[in-house]
Amino acid sequence: MRCAAEILEKKPDTRVVALTKVAHAQKSHTSTAQGGLSAVDPSDPEDLPVYHMFDTWKGSDCTADQHVVKKICEMAWEQLLWLEHRGMHFSRNPKGGFAKRTFGGHTVRFGEDSAFRAVFEADRTGKGIMDTGWGESLKRGVTILNQTLAIELLFVDNQCAGCLVFKQKEGEFVRILAKATVITAGGCGQVFKVTTNCRQNTGDYLSLALQAGLPVMNPEAVQFHPTGIVGPGILASETLRSVGGILRNRGLEPFMEKYAPKMKELAPRDLVARAIESEIREERGAFNPDHQIEHVWIDLRHLPASVHENDIPEVSGFFKKYMNLDPIDSLCPVRPSVHYHMGGIPTSEFGEVENSRQEIIPGLYAGGESAAASFHGFNRLGTNSLLELLVMGKVIGERVLEYLPQSPSQLKDARETLTTSKFSGYLDARGKGSTGHIRESLRSLMTRHAGVFRTDEGLRQALAQIRELKGAAENVTLTTRSLKMNQELVQRWELDNLLDVALVMCESALNRKESRGAHFRTDYTERKDEYNYHTLISMKAFGATELGKREVNMSLFEEGGQHQEKFGLIQRKY
Amino acid sequence: MNQKTDITLQIQRYDPDHNRQWVQRYDLQAGPIQRFVDLFRKINDEQDSTLAWNSSCEHGQCGTCAVIINGVPLLACELLVENAVTRFKTTTFTIKPLNIAPVVRDLVIDIERAYQRVEKVKPYLIKPAEPSSGAEVGQITPEELGYYVNATRCINCFCCASACISNRANFLGPNAMLATIVRLMDPREEEKQSRFKMIYSAQGVARCHSSMACSFVCPKQIDVGHFIALAKQGRFARRTK
Repeated sequence: MRCAAEILEKKPDTRVVALTKVAHAQKSHTSTAQGGLSAVDPSDPEDLPVYHMFDTWKGSDCTADQHVVKKICEMAWEQLLWLEHRGMHFSRNPKGGFAKRTFGGHTVRFGEDSAFRAVFEADRTGKGIMDTGWGESLKRGVTILNQTLAIELLFVDNQCAGCLVFKQKEGEFVRILAKATVITAGGCGQVFKVTTNCRQNTGDYLSLALQAGLPVMNPEAVQFHPTGIVGPGILASETLRSVGGILRNRGLEPFMEKYAPKMKELAPRDLVARAIESEIREERGAFNPDHQIEHVWIDLRHLPASVHENDIPEVSGFFKKYMNLDPIDSLCPVRPSVHYHMGGIPTSEFGEVENSRQEIIPGLYAGGESAAASFHGFNRLGTNSLLELLVMGKVIGERVLEYLPQSPSQLKDARETLTTSKFSGYLDARGKGSTGHIRESLRSLMTRHAGVFRTDEGLRQALAQIRELKGAAENVTLTTRSLKMNQELVQRWELDNLLDVALVMCESALNRKESRGAHFRTDYTERKDEYNYHTLISMKAFGATELGKREVNMSLFEEGGQHQEKFGLIQRKY
Repeated sequence: MNQKTDITLQIQRYDPDHNRQWVQRYDLQAGPIQRFVDLFRKINDEQDSTLAWNSSCEHGQCGTCAVIINGVPLLACELLVENAVTRFKTTTFTIKPLNIAPVVRDLVIDIERAYQRVEKVKPYLIKPAEPSSGAEVGQITPEELGYYVNATRCINCFCCASACISNRANFLGPNAMLATIVRLMDPREEEKQSRFKMIYSAQGVARCHSSMACSFVCPKQIDVGHFIALAKQGRFARRTK
């Protein structure tokens, strides 16, 4: 939406069509982001963009691309003002300016002190951004197609010419011919059993790219939030641990002191997530029979009532509403929950999509969680996702405007190749099995084998099972025969996409025999310099994968300068 | 903790291909911490894959899963079965789609049609005010913002519009009113005239009967009726100013 607004602001006569898979653009997954958006205030005497760049680089476990990090951190403040001037309702300080808060991993003077760098709209910053982006695009005449799926990218002479879409409400396939196509389709958390992601985040965009012969970058880089609420997977914010919440296993033993004797519950996200998963693997987890999920408890019962009322009312509210548990007298079940995909469709620093040979595909762009430029590398800092989608929306918009005059005119020659037969195949299949059961088997096996801990053996097992499930999926019979709002058909298509994404995630994780950021191998627990590259993986037919590499951009280090040593291959220790 | 409750759902179905409408009964067992969206999923996976329903975030932030359960418009992702049993004092639940737009299939409505009412009031800054000289950021104190901040929390789930007793043919609806009231209260909006015209038009706040049904059903606990009452009195800024 930021990108659409940029194009329409600068060139109002451009015809911009936005597709969204959800019921309405305003309901996109961005709307659920809570925390904030980091931007260094030029008038802040304490903070500098270079500190933000360092935090991002360190957080990424030295796998972010430094030219992208520099660009996004430097453009942050100006883009924040774009939102303010278009009416986003930021929380205010007593003087009337932006209120600010600290966030994990954001520091000043290279880790010396916490930075007050995150602006926010209460606990609904993402909603503020989405409403503003939607409002601005609406004001400037965007055409929005809701509940519409992009099912195949179209090409003419290796240039992107738009895409074939399926309009769910009408049950129609429509070819949209476009001089420029931008993919900003969110994430793929539904590949896992427990996720904070919305129901529509099934990684369709990754499948779309793979089918077009394009690679996916770093699919193994998946962020887990340590404390998702069991069942819905909703985030139970880190605040619970910072106010004194204690994690306990089935025997109610407080286990964090075994894993982080000093920091205990306040250790970094990935470490806490690994501790919880270790307890569960070593059979000290509790079990929830309704959701068939093992978990641990977070204990908040010892905290004074004032803390419950004043410091954690929102998260307490989630437990009350979704679990009927009052944290003041009950243990609350939590489990690491898949939160964010650092990997995505590989792009240049301008959001231009690249093929396996790192050549730009003219007319095709990607941004936000769907893309990997890469700003986050192998681990994302809180608040950096909203910043990335905002700035890259603007950057891509500018790039598209430069490209439009030179784009090819033979768009009408574009034809789809596989989709129609694929959809009729779904409707023609006559066999046993249900999409729902296969999907849930896949999600469970991904959480078991490709989750917080990964091993050679587990990943190989997962790959074998994914291939079996693919076979089973081909037999599923659909009961609803019409194309109109046929959710069975859409879920069957999503299942194929989930299987594609699961397969490339496991293949890439198997190949990366080291631990880096959110990717943790119990059989290779250290980061290794020989793996200091981005994974590229493409897939010609299901299972026929091809692995490649892309160099990590280290321009800030190579340019030298005052803080050069901060941007080398540093250790990620907190 | 593994107690099961036997429940019955009477779901209003609609098949657009045969233009057929009926009520279908589903009997199922629900465990603790299951929500109505989980029940719909269970029906899809175990009993009837054809039942169409909508959801997205499933934690009360997007408003996609709004339906009418035993007469009350609410978010299906926020209602636990055991709470529903206590609240409605029954284990039989009648589930209908929201009544604010045509049904596409079963519980899925044409939400775009409903949204046209919100789009009509221009849910953005029509004419942003220039920040005062030299300032990058429009100065809004927390007190000023506090006067209308609750109205900015609306997610357009249309529960209020569904509960509203006013005639939908004439009234744009409580959430559409809220969207324009926010900008009448926002000091950064310069274009107030056309907003006044809209809000005091024949489709505006005069159509509200002050039943307060909107405030009663709002899943975000926004006192929608309060804001509409302020608009009726023309009180768009704090009196103390």
